[in-house]
Amino acid sequence: MKSKNRRWVGWIIVLVLVVAIQPLSDRVNLDRLILGVNPPTPWTRILAAGGKDSKLAVTGVTGVIVGAVLGGFREVAASMLWMKSHELWDKGEGASVEALWVMRLTTLLDPHWLEPWRMTGWHLAYNLYVETDDPKLRAEFLQMGVDCLKEGISWNPDRYDLYFELGWTYFDKVRDFEEATKWLIASIQFPHPEFADRMIAHAFERQPDMPRALDWYDYCLKRNPTDGTATGATITIRERYMPAWRLMTEQRYDEALAAIEKWLQVEPNSQLGLHLKATILEKAGRLRDAYVVWKLAADTHALNAHAAAKVDELGVKLGISTPKSAQYIFRERQARQGRREMKVDIPME
Amino acid sequence: MRPIYRVAKATFHEAWRRRFLNGILVFAILIIGSSWVFAYLQPGAELKMIIDVSLGAIRFFGMLIAVFMGTRLIPDEIEKRTIHTILAKPVSRAQFLFGKYLGAAATILMNVALMGAAFLIVFAVKAPQFKAMTTESTMTMEFMSGNLVKAVILIFFELLVLLAIAVASSTVFSWIIASIFSFFVYFVGQMAEFFKQLANPERDISHAAQVLLATIYRLLPHFEIFDIREAIMKDQFMPWDVMGKIIVQGIAYTVIVMLVGYLFFNEREV
Repeated sequence: MKSKNRRWVGWIIVLVLVVAIQPLSDRVNLDRLILGVNPPTPWTRILAAGGKDSKLAVTGVTGVIVGAVLGGFREVAASMLWMKSHELWDKGEGASVEALWVMRLTTLLDPHWLEPWRMTGWHLAYNLYVETDDPKLRAEFLQMGVDCLKEGISWNPDRYDLYFELGWTYFDKVRDFEEATKWLIASIQFPHPEFADRMIAHAFERQPDMPRALDWYDYCLKRNPTDGTATGATITIRERYMPAWRLMTEQRYDEALAAIEKWLQVEPNSQLGLHLKATILEKAGRLRDAYVVWKLAADTHALNAHAAAKVDELGVKLGISTPKSAQYIFRERQARQGRREMKVDIPME
Repeated sequence: MRPIYRVAKATFHEAWRRRFLNGILVFAILIIGSSWVFAYLQPGAELKMIIDVSLGAIRFFGMLIAVFMGTRLIPDEIEKRTIHTILAKPVSRAQFLFGKYLGAAATILMNVALMGAAFLIVFAVKAPQFKAMTTESTMTMEFMSGNLVKAVILIFFELLVLLAIAVASSTVFSWIIASIFSFFVYFVGQMAEFFKQLANPERDISHAAQVLLATIYRLLPHFEIFDIREAIMKDQFMPWDVMGKIIVQGIAYTVIVMLVGYLFFNEREV
């Protein structure tokens, strides 16, 4: 065969081989996709995240970090970015948007590292939340914090930490105790510390759902009979709240109110007592009175965002006030998006 | 086969005499040996960090060895004119090229084996301590070690592909240009999936651009398929049949690249 012909045959063989390996290549890609072993975050997403904020390109993604990622050290690059976020924090710029993007990029680079998810969620729902007085913006930060933790859970579904963190955020910041119980219950499906069980009981207590709170305290006591908190809470609920609760479930609302009032005379600003009283009034259909009690609970405890949200909820329903709390705006948005059911009918836009 | 074996053997011995390659290997082993220090960068995820740094180091330094050795195999012989002596003997260009490649591949095998052994020793010593500090990994040490061995095997096959690219490019370019080209292909090859996404018909780009991007995706070596760190991090079993497919794909790509290298080398005036 002439040299020129041999060359052509060679190139044709190359072409045939390139075409022939394509099905195998597709099969390998499919296998990796099924196994879930592809690199955690596609390049397109990391680049897109960097491009949204021009500051990030300068201060966050340094050449060293890009080099580390390209060299195959994603986790090291994530650690470097994490240190960068600490640096910003120490400089007093921890609440800046720049710090947020550095944290966000860390979660994209190493989504199996729990700490950045936890810190970014906290940063959004707590730190950036207090940077503004605008309730709508605050609700936006709550939403971002919750979404961040949910995304973290999707990457780490078999670890307790982020379920608990999300449950805690709902409990402590959003003050949506129903959502809090869902996520806290999800967290204890995995190895977890003892206090996580008790947190579920606390969340039921604050809803208020006294029988279920008792069930959970009972569960805690079965696991650890020396649990002083659970023992004390069980006694308190049985003595103070259960009589009123039983009367409420029997629709003997006046008697239920008298029962809870007895305890409120001893401790007029008891949050659990006020919550229960307002709930009884709501069940009795005395929404205006319930509104007054929720307002009292909100006014006597500045951090009782649950009561503040209930004030807004009933205020809108009764047409006597406009929403002021970020928590209410957040819940209403969730309800509008079909993510959460509101307890009372909210007039939709 | 005998000429190929002899060229390969000579290449292997010569590679071990190159100081800069030994320097890279020593540095890599030092980094791997001290990888547990990096672990403290991620409190609570030390085990994950030690795996990432060590496997990253094997890949990174393996890449340096593959590129710098591969791109100098042929140009050095041409520069020193020793190629004339070899080709004057009954050694064809194909035998010379593949002998050189196999010798370099054996060198990489030894390098990866040494780096892998260093890693497994560090892992065996430090991992039980880190594992006790975290609740993140629920798998046994034997399970994790099995996955780590698979990861090292795949890194070796990844480096074989890169070596083929380095050798083939050195038949066309000078060794410096061939090195730059090989690094470029390596980095772009790690992002092959990016071109697939860019070529997505749902994106608002012209048909010609789509075809071009899809062709680039098909021609590029998919280096990311050799990276199974995600499986290790997730404590997930990496099936041998999938491993087999990845290895076959790597070997097939190596054959194609070496064939291209041969076609260029065959035409080249030496």
